[in-house]
Order: sequence, then structure tokens, then C-alpha cells
Amino acid sequence: MLFYIGRFQNRKALIRFVYMKKILLLTGLIYSCIVCAQQGYTFNRISTDDGTGLASNVVYCTYQDVKGFIWVGTANGLQRFDGNKFITFGTSNPGSNKLPVADLAQILDAGNGNIWLFFNTRKEVGVFNPITFDYHIIPIKNSQPIPPRANMRLWKDSKKNIFLSIWKYGIIRFDEKQQAFTDENYFPLPAGWKASTSVFEDTLRKRYWFPCPDSGLAVYDADAKKVYTRHYNPLHIPLLENKIIQPGVTEFFIDRKRRHWVFNWTGGQNKWCFNESGTQLKDTAGINDNPEYSELVNFFETKDSVLWVYGANGLFNYDNNIDRFYFYETASTISATGIRYQSANQVMEDRDGSIWIATDNGLYFASTGSGTFNVVNLLFDESKGAVDITDLLQLQTGQYWFSIWGRGIITLDKNFDRYDAGIYNSVPAMDNARRTMYNQVWALYQNTDGKVWIGCQAGKYMIHDAATRKTSFLDLKEAEEATIRYITADKRGTIWISTQRGHIIKYDGKTFTTVQKFGTIIPKILIDNSGLLWLATHNQGLYCLTSDGTKILRHYTSDSKTNPLFINSGSDIDQINDSTIAYGAGALNLINLKTGNVTWLTFDDGLPGNTIQRVRADKNGNLWIITLNGLCRYNSNTKRFTPYGRKDGITLANMTTKADYQCTEHYIMFTGSNAVMFFLPSIFDNQEPPPDVVITDFKLFNDYVPVDSLLALPKLQLNAHQNSFSIYFSSLSYLQKEKLTYYYKMEGIDKDWIKADWQSFVNYSLLPPGSYTFYVYCENIDGIRSKNITSFKIYIKPPFWRTYWFISSGLFLLSLLLYTLHRMRVNRILAVEKIRNRVARDLHDDMGSTLSTINILSTMAKSRLNTDTVKTSEYISKISENSQRMMEAMDDIVWSIKPMNDNMQKITARMREFATSVLEAKDIEVDFDIEEKVYDVKLDMEARRDFFLVFKEAINNAAKYSKANKIFVVLITKPGRLELTVKDNGKGFIVAEADSGNGLNNMQKRADAMKGVLQITSKQGEGTTVKLTVPVL
Amino acid sequence: MNKALSQKFRFFTFICIALLAYVHGYNLKETYLAPYSTVNEPLTFTSFFEYFVANGLLRFRIPMLFIISGYLYAAYDQRPYLQQIKKRFKTLIIPFLLWSAAALLLTFALQQFSYTADIVSTAKLDQLQDNRPYTEIGWRGMIQRWLSAPVAYQLWFIVSLFIYNLIYPSIRWLVIKIPYIWLPLTFLSFFLGFQFIYIDGRGLFFFSLGIFLQKKKISIENQPAWFSTGLAFIFFIGFTVIKTFMAFELEPNTIGTSLTLLIFYQLSVLAGIMAMWFGSDKVIKWCMNKKWFHQASGFSFFLYGMHVPLLPYMMTMAVKELSFLPGYRLLSYIIIPAFVVVLCLSTGRVLKKYLPSFYGILTGGRGF
Repeated sequence: MLFYIGRFQNRKALIRFVYMKKILLLTGLIYSCIVCAQQGYTFNRISTDDGTGLASNVVYCTYQDVKGFIWVGTANGLQRFDGNKFITFGTSNPGSNKLPVADLAQILDAGNGNIWLFFNTRKEVGVFNPITFDYHIIPIKNSQPIPPRANMRLWKDSKKNIFLSIWKYGIIRFDEKQQAFTDENYFPLPAGWKASTSVFEDTLRKRYWFPCPDSGLAVYDADAKKVYTRHYNPLHIPLLENKIIQPGVTEFFIDRKRRHWVFNWTGGQNKWCFNESGTQLKDTAGINDNPEYSELVNFFETKDSVLWVYGANGLFNYDNNIDRFYFYETASTISATGIRYQSANQVMEDRDGSIWIATDNGLYFASTGSGTFNVVNLLFDESKGAVDITDLLQLQTGQYWFSIWGRGIITLDKNFDRYDAGIYNSVPAMDNARRTMYNQVWALYQNTDGKVWIGCQAGKYMIHDAATRKTSFLDLKEAEEATIRYITADKRGTIWISTQRGHIIKYDGKTFTTVQKFGTIIPKILIDNSGLLWLATHNQGLYCLTSDGTKILRHYTSDSKTNPLFINSGSDIDQINDSTIAYGAGALNLINLKTGNVTWLTFDDGLPGNTIQRVRADKNGNLWIITLNGLCRYNSNTKRFTPYGRKDGITLANMTTKADYQCTEHYIMFTGSNAVMFFLPSIFDNQEPPPDVVITDFKLFNDYVPVDSLLALPKLQLNAHQNSFSIYFSSLSYLQKEKLTYYYKMEGIDKDWIKADWQSFVNYSLLPPGSYTFYVYCENIDGIRSKNITSFKIYIKPPFWRTYWFISSGLFLLSLLLYTLHRMRVNRILAVEKIRNRVARDLHDDMGSTLSTINILSTMAKSRLNTDTVKTSEYISKISENSQRMMEAMDDIVWSIKPMNDNMQKITARMREFATSVLEAKDIEVDFDIEEKVYDVKLDMEARRDFFLVFKEAINNAAKYSKANKIFVVLITKPGRLELTVKDNGKGFIVAEADSGNGLNNMQKRADAMKGVLQITSKQGEGTTVKLTVPVL
Repeated sequence: MNKALSQKFRFFTFICIALLAYVHGYNLKETYLAPYSTVNEPLTFTSFFEYFVANGLLRFRIPMLFIISGYLYAAYDQRPYLQQIKKRFKTLIIPFLLWSAAALLLTFALQQFSYTADIVSTAKLDQLQDNRPYTEIGWRGMIQRWLSAPVAYQLWFIVSLFIYNLIYPSIRWLVIKIPYIWLPLTFLSFFLGFQFIYIDGRGLFFFSLGIFLQKKKISIENQPAWFSTGLAFIFFIGFTVIKTFMAFELEPNTIGTSLTLLIFYQLSVLAGIMAMWFGSDKVIKWCMNKKWFHQASGFSFFLYGMHVPLLPYMMTMAVKELSFLPGYRLLSYIIIPAFVVVLCLSTGRVLKKYLPSFYGILTGGRGF
């Protein structure tokens, strides 16, 4: 009775299981794990209760996109899973249909990142673009009415055609031109033949198989473009001639072994399997194990050719090792495989080979599909009494012994079959109490001579000779009736024994000698590579003894001032390499053999818990650690802890706390309570690089921003105030999820890579404006990096007033302003200078010469005053004229400078005044005609003066020479110019012959100075016209 | 043409070509700078300075060279058309073929040694964006590069000039008959950077303007009364500085940014032409009194033909080898182009002295 191996289906299964282990050693192939000796996968459930955000436990479908995201269709619509959380998708974009929150039955790849969606209840098919959030319903253009409750299934063939199979209706195809599903009779099935939704494309033979429930199987040959049925089968396709399966056939599938799976209904569902030639196979074994009613309607085959068959009330996978289906119970209690369902809606394999199952009770994930693990979890049967394993041993001949407190030793052969080793066959006569003590076994050790030392309660021990099958039942007096806790031997063959009361006893082949006595439990003795003895103790710390055990070389305790231990009580000790001892005392205490220094590695460093029970180094120097929180591996090179749990097939770690053993095939075994767990450490090695890291989310302040749209941008542009955000990332390997270390760097801030620990996001707060590039990659437990570094460019715009271009624009404008002010100042100085020059010139020209004339004339008059009164009078008269002209000139100068004369009213008034005063004396009538608009004209000082002087000259000339009796003065404006006309009715003159003199020349010069045009027209006897045109603003 | 104008032409022809070294000698991450190029590297003094000089301050040169070319061509267009073209073939196309071949051979030779091959590969000069060794590209690819996509990429200017010379009668007619339609049209093509195969819209406007100025006898020797040199320099430097900062700070790869940069770029070019043409009289006078300037300016075309790809290769090498020095990029940018100019002038001088006929073919008979 001692034990039985869980629920192996039969002995063959167990043998296969052990065989698997051997195959692994030979080929490195990896096989599925076994929990409670079960062949099924170990599932992890994702549900609405676990905080990941699954919208509904009713999950209809799953789909993995090229980036690695898992899309799920739930009763509440479309969601996407990044390994940490679900994001619900919805849309109400303008121009887009509304993405329904409804039962999403199917998701298919639509290319370019788009996905096909099929909503079952709504009978709606659409295409969704995750980048633009656009959703477009694809119309179904059916030629005949679709039965109201017809099931539909969307599927895609190898030519990327999209079809919609409609139960009792037929198959319609998506027409890209019409952007609709059209009833074009793409598969010309015979009249009345209506295919079920289970269509299968045989890409090898280029055939499509259509199970038509009412008619039979139909095959469409894509090359010949013909349909074959039982009525027309020129190629003699065997299954078409099979009468058992037709009609009533509903499901059809061909797997990689070319097995043809056919299900039909004749009162109930029948499952058949045929080979290519139509011979029925017995491979349906196990598929009818389900006692309950079920409808298996879907098939799925993994990359490793594991066939899944599933549907309502049924989920099976074909176990290629035992050649039969394994049934996953729809149990009302959680089964050992961890899955619970009423309807398995879809099975999917992700790119890591993990299996995802969409059910009506949540989404299930099993990481063993691609075979990355070979972990064995065994439970000993306790139905006939408690099993408490204290130690284990693999004999040199390969058998396994398990010591069980109070129940002796369980012996298993290499195939895990129980065998009788004859340990207790020849028990000498003794009382029951003493006999019981020999059944209370604590320690097992096989010496190099093949004899097995068995340490028991109260100082009893046995030595069993496997060759002779004889056992000696002995009493170790040196133990003073203390329980023997541990037995080992050094390289010299000396046996070392520790006891519950702290004895360290050595046996040199002749005598037992107590070398130390510590008065506490010594659960483990480690003899290091140099032969020193290391003792794990209860509550007394760690001792290091000389190789003969007589001297204590070192004693580490938690109270030591230098190099203290984490706690004093230790449960296990092992040597990692030549320089490091690992001591499991609460946390992991690493003792450097060369320096004697102690380093703690605790929960804070990644240890699952500060409750280490077992430590065991493998051949690669990795330390496998059992804590009360499970199994983990410590890599002394990367100094990283990697936890292993249910996802990795490790289910019994927290029970296997009592003993450990490294088997000859390098398997590491842990045991304790009634559990045994063993695995080959190397199967956890992964030489494949993890998938590239994907940016899964971007959170601006506290709002998630649709990351697909952002990633489609060459660079994310943020405004100045949008400078606090979080970036979420993941390598989207659900298999390695917890075993990846992420490294990131924000170029622009970080100089070096930053280890992200176990987090998969990073927060940035109040980043200054600028360009940044976020880089991230990951590394698996073996230090292999993802192939590419993922980058994400971010640009935080500075506020415009802080940009250099704005500041420089300001400086530019300031320069312009300063320069303009400078130019104005210079121009003003120049203008003043110009006035001064002109006044000086005028004074010099007009006043200076006249005054000197007056001076000369007055001198002359003075000299002739008494001698020539006539001349004197003439001189005085000239002096009078000159002074009069000088006064007028002075008057003109003053008048022209005075700013109050700047308007045309003043100019015209002066013109009138002057004309009147000159012409009245000559009795010439003057007629002024001044247009009203003239008064709006502005002339600058120079122009005003020149204008007036031209007029003055014209009037003077007319008065002096024209002999006119009437003069017309006309002043008008024309667009952009001012026009002055002085016309007389005098005698006129020939302009060409006229002496230009100073008068006419001056007029012309003044007109030129004003950029004006002077026209003088005259004819003898017809008067003279002087016309001055000057440009004005 | 009077002496003052002639001296101005000579001065600017040499200066515009010599400054090419600083336009082609930048060592920014961006290997090709278009008017609207943004800078995808942090704003530092070096990156600002190089972009400011290479893609701003010195960009008045090519338009100015086109104006000078148009003016001179119009001034001597009395000769028969075919004779003109024949001469231009000799002075433009033959040098083009020779310099293009020389650049190709130099590149090929450098590709034969691992160190220099790495330099060639890093410089990424190939206009067809295929920087594989020519042994991999093959004869067809090499001929294509010789004739239509020379590694001496600066030669596009003389090809463009030759095209304008070919169509000169048409351009002259348009300039004389409908200047107020033709010039705005070509101005638009310059402003928007229009390019149609070998007809470079940017040059067409300035070439036409040169013809216009000559044919209309518009004085360009002295600055007009309305012109303010100070304002022109403020606009020139101001627009260039603003545009340079914008290239670093505006959102890259958007139409808005490209358009903004283009507008500022062209405004700075226009302001630059005006400022430099009318504001450099004192410098011109000083230079023209120097013997060395007269000697150096005689090698303008040789410098033009030789400096690329020599300069980018030397720059790449300098950046690679001097990276241990602080500020090595800026140092390289200042020193290497000057060194290449001196090297080209010296080589030209030696060739002219010892192989005058070969020098004559290389330069289309210029500098004698």
C-alpha cells in the first residue's frame, strides 16, 4: 500500500512518463508536465475576478496579432491582453460604425494590422483598425433569406479569401471590390447540399472538405474546380464512399498525420478516424470518456502536432505518448489541471507554443504546449495513513528510496515501480518500541561500497547491503539515543553523522568518534571541496570545522558584529562554487570562502520569501531554492532570482521542503510531506531570445492614450504641459513573462540603461521640453537579450516663448526697431542740417548779394551825394528796390520755414496775396480757381517753397512781359499729383526762342526738385500757359 | 561693363566658390541639407554653428553665381548661338565629365583599402543612396554615376548652367518681352524649389534676373538710394538665425515646418544676396588691392571641381580620428574646409604651371 502514483491512466502511462525523462536526456526535447501524474496540461485561469480587467468570463475567441498581443472576444466585446491587463476597445469615430459591446464570436487577421470581427447574436461582420479605431460593418449580400437561427462561422483559406459559412444556407465570400460578402457560389456544391460551418481546407491536396449534414461529404478540388460527392466520385476518394459516416456528417478535420477525423450524428455524436485510404483507425480512444452529453465541433492542432478537439461540454487533447485522448473534465469542482468549463469555445496556440483556451468560465492559459518544461510532480497516496517523507536517495543502481517517518522506506525501481529491497526482511527479534524506531527513518546515505546507511530515531541506524539484501539493525551509542538527522561521507571515505542533539560523529571504518557536541539539531553537514565541514544548526548559526572535525574554524551567528547571519536557524547548506557556500537560514546567506564575508539575499532582492527550506546547487552553479513561497533559482552570475510556479509546471514546491537530491541524470529532486517533485534544471534554460519588447500602453498623467495610434507616428509630439507620463512595455511572451528583466533608457535624460526590476512600466514626471527616445529591451534568465531594442521617440514641445526661434525673432524685431530709431535720428539730423544749409544758402544767395549791392550803392550814393544828385537819387532808388526785394526774399524764406504754413490753405492764400499785389499794380485782372480737394494736399517744406516760387516766377513773368489784362490761375488735383496752371491772355512768345534766363531755368530746377513736370506753352498773340505738375502723396 | 562691376563679379565668383567648402564641409548627422531640413540632433553650439553657416549664411552663393552667369551671358550674347553652345560645351560639359570621372576614380581607389573604404562608406555621398563598393555596383551603375549622378555632386551647377545656355534664346525672349510675367513665375519656382530633371527652378530665376539686369541696363554697381545695407544685413542674419533655431525646434516632418523653414530660407537668401552684393564694397576694394587674392581667384573653377568628394572624405576621416579631442566636430568644420581650399588652390597652381594644357581642359580654359 505504501503509495500509489496518482491517477495515471494505466501502467503504460507511467512508463511513458519515465521514458519521456530519458528521451529528454538524450535529445534535449521537452515534454509536458504532469501534476498528480496526470497527462493534462496545467492551466492558469484569467477571469473577471483577478483584476486584469477581463470584461466577461464568457470568452468566445482569442487571436494573437503580429506584435504578440492576445485579442479576446468576450460576451462584452473586444479586448486586448498584454500579459498584465486587458484593454477594452470601442469606437465612435466619425465615419466609423460603432463597435458593438456584444458577444464577439470570432477574430481573424485582416492584414495591415486590421482584424475581422464576427458578432454572433448580431450576425454582424466587420473590420476593425486598432490604429485609427475605425470599425466598418461589412454587409452580407445574400441572394436568399438566411434562416433566422443559422449558425455562422468566419474563416480564411490559404489564399487569404474570407468566407462566411452559414448553417443551412451555404458559403459566401468577401468581395474586395464590393466590400461585402456576396453569394457568388464560389464552391459549386450540388443543389440542395448545404455545408455545415465546419469546413476544412486541405492545403496539401488543394481540396476543401464540406460536411453537409443532410447530404454527406463534399470535396471541392481547387485545381480541377470540381466538386466530388458520394454521387460523383471519379477520383474514388475513399471517404466519399464511406456509408457509415454519411449522411449526418457535421465535422471534418485532417491532421498532420493525415488522419481524417469525421464526426456525424445518428441519435448522438459519433466520432470517427480514418487514414487517407479510408481505413478506420482506433485513434479515437478516450474521446468518448466523457460520460456527459457533449458536442465536439472544433479541432485544433498545435505546431507540435498535439490535436485538440473541443466544444460544448468537452475538451480533449490527443496524447501522442499514450495514443489516446485526454479528457479535461467539466467538473463542478476545480480539477487538478486547473480548468473548469461548460463550453470550450476556442483553443489557440501562441507564438511561444503556449495554449490559450477561451471558455464560458474565463480564459485559460497553459504554458507547456511547446514543451519548454519537463517537471514531474508526484503525490503519495495518504488514504491509508499520513505520508511524511524525511529523506530520499537514488541508489548507484538507479533505484529511488524514500524514507518516511514512522513507515520505513519506500523503494522504487528506475521505472518508479515499487520493488522489495528486503530492508526489513530479516529484522531480529526486538520489542515493538525498538522496532518502531527503525521505522522512524530520518536519513539515507549510500556509501561508496554500496552499503546504504539509514539513520533512525533515538540513535538507531541500519546498514543495508543491496547486494546481499541484508540489513544490520544497529545502535549508535555515541549518539546517546539522539535521533540521527544526517549522514554523509568525505572524500577519504569517513562517514559523518549529525544528530538531533548536536552530535558530530565520525566513522573511519573502524570506530565511531564523537568530535563535537553542540546541543542543538544539526540538520545538514556539508563537506566542501577543500574538505572542511560546514554544519547547519538549529538556532546556533553556522559552524565551519576542520576536516577532522576537531576544531571550529569559523562560527557565524546573527549576533556577530562582523558578517552576521540573517537568522541563526538554518535548514540547508550547499556549495555553489569554489568560493561560495550557500546557507539557507531564513534568507539566503552567501559565505565567501576566501574572505569569510557573509552576504544576505532576501525577499527585497527577489527571493520569493525569507523562509528558505532547501538549497541545492546544480552542475552549472545555479542554486535551486525551496521556500515556503515556492521554488526559485538563483543565478550566481547574474545575481538574479527567478521564481517558478504553476505556469512552469511547478505545483508542489511548497510541500517538498524536507529533502533534496541530485540524481545521476542531473535531475534535481525535492521531497517532503507526501510530495515529490523533480526536474532537469537545464530544461529551464532558454537559448532563444525573448520576443522584442512592445510598448503596450502610454499613460499621459492618469489617462491611457491609445498606444497603437501613437506607435504609428514617427514621433510622439507632446505639448509643454504634457510632460508627465508613464510608458508600459512588455515582451509579450506569456511563457517567460515573470522571467524577463527589462532594461530601459530615455535618451535625453538617462546616460545608462536602467534595470526595470519586475516592473514593466516607467514613470516620467515633469520632463523638460526636448527630444527624447525611449529605448527598452529585455533579457531572459539566461542573459539572452531580445533581438532588437525597441525605441519610441517623444518630443515635448517647449512653450513657444521659451523657444530659441521665438527669442531670436524677438531680438530680430528689436534690432529692426533699434536700427529704425537710429535711422530716424540720423535722418532727422540730416534734415535739420539740410534746412540749415538751405537757409544759409538762401541767406547767402538772396540776402548776401543784395546787401552787398546795397552797400555798394549806398557808398556810391554817399560819395556823390553832394556832386551828382541825379545819380545819387538813382542809387537810392536802386537801394530801395533791392531792399524791397530783400524784404520779399526774407519774407519768402521765413514763410517757407514756418511750420504753420505747411497746409495748402496758407499756400493758396499767399499765392492770392502775391498775385493780387503784383497784378493789381499792373491793372491785370486775376482769376483764381482752386479745387476744394487741393486743400487736402500735403507738401513738405521744400516742395511748398519750390511750388510757391515757381508760381511766383510765373506771375512775375506774366506781369512783366505778357501785356495781358487777365490771368487765370487754376489749381487742381489729379490722382497722385497736384496741377498748377497759370494762363494769361497776353502777347505770348516763341518758347523755343525765348531767353531761358535765370527765371525759366529756376522754374525748371524747382520743378525737377519736386520730381514734377513743368510745361510752358505759348504762341505769339495767344497768351502763355505755364503748367506745373507735382507728385503728391 | 565697367571695371568696378567686373571686379565685383570676379570677387563674388571666387568667394562663392571658396565658401562652397563650408557649405559642403559640415559634419552633422544629417548628410544632406535641404532648405527645409530639420536637425535630428541636440542643439549644441557646434550643431547650431554648422547648420547656421552651411544651411543659412552661405546659401546666397549659388543664386549669386547664377545672376553673375546670366548677366555675363547676356552681355556677350552677340555671338552666334551655335558658337556660343560649342564654347559652353568646352567650358562646362567637358570639365563636368572629367571632374565626375576623377571623383569616381578617387572613390573607387579609396574603396580598395579597408580603412579608406570605411571612410567612403561612412561619408554616404552616393546620390542614388547606394553606398556599396563600385565592384558590387558594376559598370552600369558606375556609368550612371559618372553621367547623371556624380559623386562630385557640386557639378550639378555647371550642368544646370549648360541647360540654361542651351535655352538662352528662349529665356532672353521671355525676359525682354514679358519680364513681369516671366520673372514672377520663375521667382515662384525658385521660392518653392521647383526642379524638373535638369532644369533647376531655383537657378532659372536668378539666371533670368541676371539677363534682365543686363538687358535693361539697370545699374548694379552702387546701391540704390532706397537700399539700406544695415537693414539688409539685419534681415539676412536675423532670418538665418531664426531659421536655424526653427530647424532644431519645430516639429520635424510636417508640411507646416517645411513651409516655414522654406520661407525663412528663401527670405534669408534674398536678403543675403542684397546685403552681400551692396554691402561688401569696402571688402572688395581691399581684396582687389591684394596680389594673393588676384592669384587665388584665378583658380576658382579648379577649386570648384576638386573640392568634392575630397572634402567630405577628409571631413569624415577627421571626425573619426579626432574624436578624442573636445569640440572635435567644430574644430574639424573650421579647419578641414580651409585646408581643402588651400590644397585645391595649390594643386591647381602646380597643374597650371607644369601641365597647362591639361589644366586648361579641366577648367574649360578658365584662369589664363
